[in-house]
Amino acid sequence: MQAKISIEALSHEYFNPTTWQRVRALDGLSLTVAAGEFLCLVGPSGCGKSTLLNLVAGLARPTGGRILLDGRVVARPGRDRGMVFQEFAILPWRTVEGNIGHGLEIAGAPRRVKDETVRRYVALMGLGGFEHKYPHELSGGMRQRVAVARTLAADPEVVLMDEPFASLDAQTRNVMQEELVRIALGERKTIMFVTHSVDEAIILGDRVVVLTHRPGRLKASMPIDIPREARRWDVLGAEAGFVRYRQDIHRLIREEFDARAPAAGAVQA
Amino acid sequence: MNPPGRDQVPARRGWAAAAMGAAAGAGQAIAPFVFFTAAWALLVAVARWPEDVLPSPFAVGRAFGDVIAKGILPVYAGETVRRILVAAVTGIAIGIAAGFIMGLNDVTAGLLLPPLRFFQSLSGIAWLPLFLIWFGFSDKTIVVAVWYTLVFPVAFNTMLGVRTVPRLYRYAVLTLGGNWRQVVFQVLLPGAIPYIVGGVRLGIAYGWRALIAAEIVVGTGGLGYLIFKAETFHLTARIIAGMIVIGVLWYVTDYFFLRPLEEATIERWGLVYR
Amino acid sequence: MGTGLPVTAPPSPPAVASRPMWAARAGLPLVRGMISFGALFAVWYALTAGGWVKPFALASPVAVAGVLADGIRDRTLLGHLGISLARLVVGMAVAGSAGIALGMLVGISRALAIFVEPLAGFFNALSGIVWLPLAITWFGLTWKTVLFVIANGIFFTVFFNTLVGVRSVPRLYEHAILTLGASRWRMLRDVLFPGAFPGIVTGIRLGLGFGWRALIAAELVAVTQGLGFMIFSAANYLRTDIILAGILVIGIVAIAMDSLILVPIERATVLRWGMYQ
Repeated sequence: MQAKISIEALSHEYFNPTTWQRVRALDGLSLTVAAGEFLCLVGPSGCGKSTLLNLVAGLARPTGGRILLDGRVVARPGRDRGMVFQEFAILPWRTVEGNIGHGLEIAGAPRRVKDETVRRYVALMGLGGFEHKYPHELSGGMRQRVAVARTLAADPEVVLMDEPFASLDAQTRNVMQEELVRIALGERKTIMFVTHSVDEAIILGDRVVVLTHRPGRLKASMPIDIPREARRWDVLGAEAGFVRYRQDIHRLIREEFDARAPAAGAVQA
Repeated sequence: MNPPGRDQVPARRGWAAAAMGAAAGAGQAIAPFVFFTAAWALLVAVARWPEDVLPSPFAVGRAFGDVIAKGILPVYAGETVRRILVAAVTGIAIGIAAGFIMGLNDVTAGLLLPPLRFFQSLSGIAWLPLFLIWFGFSDKTIVVAVWYTLVFPVAFNTMLGVRTVPRLYRYAVLTLGGNWRQVVFQVLLPGAIPYIVGGVRLGIAYGWRALIAAEIVVGTGGLGYLIFKAETFHLTARIIAGMIVIGVLWYVTDYFFLRPLEEATIERWGLVYR
Repeated sequence: MGTGLPVTAPPSPPAVASRPMWAARAGLPLVRGMISFGALFAVWYALTAGGWVKPFALASPVAVAGVLADGIRDRTLLGHLGISLARLVVGMAVAGSAGIALGMLVGISRALAIFVEPLAGFFNALSGIVWLPLAITWFGLTWKTVLFVIANGIFFTVFFNTLVGVRSVPRLYEHAILTLGASRWRMLRDVLFPGAFPGIVTGIRLGLGFGWRALIAAELVAVTQGLGFMIFSAANYLRTDIILAGILVIGIVAIAMDSLILVPIERATVLRWGMYQ
């Protein structure tokens, strides 16, 4: 497989106005993501996972190193890299339909194509009957499904997901995870998925990458060798591999947690 | 949905940084005015309009010195301030009392609200012709018009504030053996204060404009009268000097008194119901 | 943010002066309204018909009704009303659109905000009727003077509320739309404008209220037509019946503007989007 995304010696510092300090979020991170790969990023909280996604999305410029997408340097946000945010971020003044079709509308897709795609994703996400509702009339789980559908409907080559299921209740989260496995299998997108849940990373990822504590560097990269069919919560527990992956990843994160220096990562302004 | 705000306010920082920020802020706030005045002076110098159409900033400065030297400005400004104070003190007191009655008693509120809403949508200025007949071209007419304008926002906001305090808190104090006086002063008043202050700010803002308008119409002294009278003598520089005084007076009142008051009360009590 | 006139600041409790939510909560508003307005009319009628108050101090409801009927029949009242409304509409159209446009612009551009905001704050503190003498100097006793005064008042109110509206749009929405490949124009049209809409509606609501008040005040002294002129000239002849009829019409217009124009707009947009907590 060829590299879809190449992250080369990536560093990033930003200014935190709350603490009045410069924060070094990433420090010389190198990583490649293959085309069609589902990559999960885990690490202790504050390890720069979200910063990494924002940089790949082009929402911020790295202060050091570079990111290549198909060999070209990423400089700004674009339609080729869709992103799903933790806080939903769907527009309150657009209906479910309006939100899901927004990407296609921006791309200038013909109406017929747009309507058809929206219908397909409404069905896929189980949003039938809610097409004309506004976000505030939906439950949290449904809103997040709209957000996922909006990103997928725009048909980006890369999907970036920043803890998209973190604020959902446990049941909804499990259902969404299984659905995402199914969709990822069908669409073969390149996905970078940030999570703090090890279980979630294992059920979703072709590979799980563990980052060090801030400033984030690559700690470990672990291919997950569980067949797609077995990635359902009702059968996954029986997989011997699952338990082992889980122990290994937890141990790696624990090491980082213990190694944390008191004021690590905070560079005085 | 309650999405996060766009600008996160710095929560904590060193005093040195804060002082530097304040200095930079002051500079930033003054610079546009300097630039604006310069542009104005340049415009007048180039266009050479007659002084009664648009006087230069220097002419306005001279006019300002003139009205101070002649003692007109201190007297008229004093008149204006006295009027707003009288109207504000009485208006706020009555507005709060009325707001409490409406806030506590739903039947009274239901009966009083429809006509009050109608009266509130009229400014005191609309009543000015009637007040003129009743009280003549006098100070009383002006104060009553301002009072009328000011009292409604205070009353309505107080009512809303009282209603916002959960009934449970009242019962809690009563079951602890408290009496109604304690309920009012320890539960309702503190709970309603952010709203009351909001109403006061709104009321004084409305009242201030009504005051200037009433002074223009009635013509018995005050800053509104000063600028209107200057118009009849084509003393445009004096008009602008008067306008600046009116603007600065309001700006100072709002910026150094009303807004800090509002922010302080919201900060201290506002979080209770979030 | 600038100072001056009530820009309803987002974190503070809502200013009631403009929101009819208490009206909805009052319950059976029609019945209660009829009772209280009926009582008010009864007292008014008793005072005037009983001879306790002389007609030149307070005209009776019957006399006021007579003025209203005559004014509608011979179209004098309708004429004054029409002229006042036309002035307000023109003022709102000009100043409202300018206020929205500039508010959006300043909301987007930080550099512009640093320069414009302090100035606008001061002029906002100085807006409306204060400009009347200067406007008379420039435009004489004409409709231009009235228009200048009300447009001035409306502009700053709409401007500041639009600004507050734009700034309350979460950055997250912008980021989300950027990752869908949106252009700047798209961002403005699909995110910032609708996001600022609650602020814009509040601005228009307050602006109409201020504009209408400033209009009546300006008409008292500056022109020879319009409702303000009608009631002020009636004062010279101690015609309290005409004054009260004028006041009634002024109040009804103010309430009608809110409940017939703004409330429906709000229902169709801001409330439907769930953007009031």
